[in-house]
Amino acid sequence: MNIRKILTLSKKEWLEIWRDRVYFTMAFIFPFVMMMVLGFGMSFDVEKMPFVIVDYDQSDLSREYSHKFISSRYFDYKGHLKKASDADELIAKADIRFLLVIPPEFSKNLKQGKPAQVQTQIDGQFTYRASMVKGYVSAITAHFNSELTQDWFAKKRGISKQELQAMLAPVTLQTHYLYNNELKSIWSTGTGMIMLVMLVAPAMLAALGVVREKESGSIFNIYASTVTPAEFITGKILPYILISYINISILSLAAVLLFEAPFKGELSLLMVSNLLYVASAAAIGLVISTFVKSQAAAALIAMIGTMIPAMMYSGLMMPVASMAAEAKIEAHAFPAMYQLEILWGTYLKGQGWQELWPNLFVITGFLLLYWGVAVLRFHKRVKA
Amino acid sequence: MNWLWWRRIFALTQKELLQFSRDLILVVATIYFFTGEVYIAGKGVSLELVKAPIGYMDHDQSLASREWLNKLRPPYFDVKGQITEQSTALKLLDSSQLLGVIDIPPNFQRDLLNGRPTEIGFQLDGSNVVLGNLANSYTGLANAYFNQEWMLKQMKVTPAQALEVPRVDVRQMILFNPEGNNAWFMSISEMMTVMTMLSLFLTAAIVVKEKERGTIEQLSIAPLTPLQILLPKILAVELILLCGIALSIFVVLLPVFKVPFQGSFFLFFLVSAVYVYAVSGLGLFIATISKNLAQVMIISILLLMPIILLSGAFTPPEAMPEWEQALIWLSPLYYYINMGYGIILKGSGLEIIWQNLLALFALGTVLFLFGIRQFKKQFGA
Repeated sequence: MNIRKILTLSKKEWLEIWRDRVYFTMAFIFPFVMMMVLGFGMSFDVEKMPFVIVDYDQSDLSREYSHKFISSRYFDYKGHLKKASDADELIAKADIRFLLVIPPEFSKNLKQGKPAQVQTQIDGQFTYRASMVKGYVSAITAHFNSELTQDWFAKKRGISKQELQAMLAPVTLQTHYLYNNELKSIWSTGTGMIMLVMLVAPAMLAALGVVREKESGSIFNIYASTVTPAEFITGKILPYILISYINISILSLAAVLLFEAPFKGELSLLMVSNLLYVASAAAIGLVISTFVKSQAAAALIAMIGTMIPAMMYSGLMMPVASMAAEAKIEAHAFPAMYQLEILWGTYLKGQGWQELWPNLFVITGFLLLYWGVAVLRFHKRVKA
Repeated sequence: MNWLWWRRIFALTQKELLQFSRDLILVVATIYFFTGEVYIAGKGVSLELVKAPIGYMDHDQSLASREWLNKLRPPYFDVKGQITEQSTALKLLDSSQLLGVIDIPPNFQRDLLNGRPTEIGFQLDGSNVVLGNLANSYTGLANAYFNQEWMLKQMKVTPAQALEVPRVDVRQMILFNPEGNNAWFMSISEMMTVMTMLSLFLTAAIVVKEKERGTIEQLSIAPLTPLQILLPKILAVELILLCGIALSIFVVLLPVFKVPFQGSFFLFFLVSAVYVYAVSGLGLFIATISKNLAQVMIISILLLMPIILLSGAFTPPEAMPEWEQALIWLSPLYYYINMGYGIILKGSGLEIIWQNLLALFALGTVLFLFGIRQFKKQFGA
């Protein structure tokens, strides 16, 4: 490999990118916009679920019970309805997400010490949100029940409420969220987006860079020159690594400044791993470019080939530990998972070289692997 | 608009379809998007708490503490075992081998018996917010059940007498998707996202390809109006994508995920056709501002992102910040998602979705006229 040849090739590539102003501007705007939109847009916070109440009982007790829902910050009370069937259309149109029905005789049953049945109807469209609503409803009801039981015993056995409380101290569960104290989804998804965006963008840019030359025919100059495949691939990739490294640095900073995520770990580790990660992402793009002939196909395949592993198999949406066996294999076969561990490790968990150095190793391994495949697949002879 | 007019349209549509069918990779990619991608989305992501690995530090080792731990049940939790040191717990949490660690204080049972309030600590990995939320909610519930049972036991209420205690039972009904099958939601969502992406990209790509190769000049000197040049392209995209969505529904959604298709197929295809029309206007616009396919791709994705995120495909409108809620009506996908879920899962008919359909049609027409105008300007026809 001749360093001068590589640098000349890189310079040529850089000039080409620089002169296509739309492409050049997009190369910088695209990752940033993608990260902003995804980071701010994908929220898993479950709050303000719109709901209505149908209260057939209209008693003090039923009002007390409903009030627990109305005052909860998780729910957004939209009013009372006369009949449960009135809610059908509201649910079908997704104006409300659930309906609470309190039956007649609710307070009568409770006052006689009998169970009373209330009913909820939850919109199951967003499965995760439906199960959260279910959980909140059960928790609110359980809380209401223990108050009921206390009142009941106080009355039945003639003990005062204070005495009773002394006998029946409840266990409180104190949850401490590690790494993300307020459970802000933007801290996790926002920093995770760096991994997603910077796998997709470099791969796509690099793939288009080579295929553009194939389409316009200028690649024949390379075929006819003395440049070896290894030199070509390396020279081609360098400008994209440079652009992507600037991008990933901007995004890493944006996570702290705009998403207000904390940074607790070692910065030097992140800076090194960012470089290796964008390089391996660009190398994926080069591998793709050796398979396709048209820019459209290159862009599509680069999208599919990077977006899916980064979104589905990196641990961003579900932890690798609870994946099915095939999904686990796919997760380990891409650098995305390792980079996500580094990102969450350095931003949220306060980790550094000591814990995360093996990940760097693996990402470097991927980089060499992709680079090798691209070099091997790049033929200077056109297939007849 | 006579017979000749329509024949020209027909001939050009045929040409577009032929051209598409000869780009093998594009065909394969399209088929893949409608089948493989939808399949992976349905299969791959689970937003449920399944066998979450939980460890515990039981400093009390009493009957009560064991009873409490017993409340953490499968399928939600997988209780791994006892940890003695806090440092080990942190290490296991750091390396994501455990999702959470329960910390039961010493004298837990004694305090409970003496009526002193006790506190159980729960260290929970919050880096995955979905799991964090779910795990917290389920453990909170387990704790509530424990309290209820403990209270009854303390008051020496036997199970038979327990019936004599007032209690609210909640019968929770999850509508449209009673088993909480996440695959339905994800696969339908993905299918619609694929529709959006391809109707944007294919339309733009078909037009720009002609620009790149210069064949657009041939078309513009032919006796054709801009509408006659563009309409066949959009018709071709319509046909390709409706076939694609049929593929998705009949090959993936129904047989693999057993999605219960409640509404009418005809209505769904009609809505999809209107949707492709609406988005293709944007595609035309992209084609007029870009010079080559690389630019098309990048601009498509840039436009695609806000369309998808504002649509409520990932986050329902009520959970968005207010400025975002004010913008959702701009996303054509918002209407499509509403109608699509309505028809497929809720069995909505035209009488429920007509407002959405009308809004989508209106938005589409605006985009379409805008696209054609840009095109006319560029080619001066």
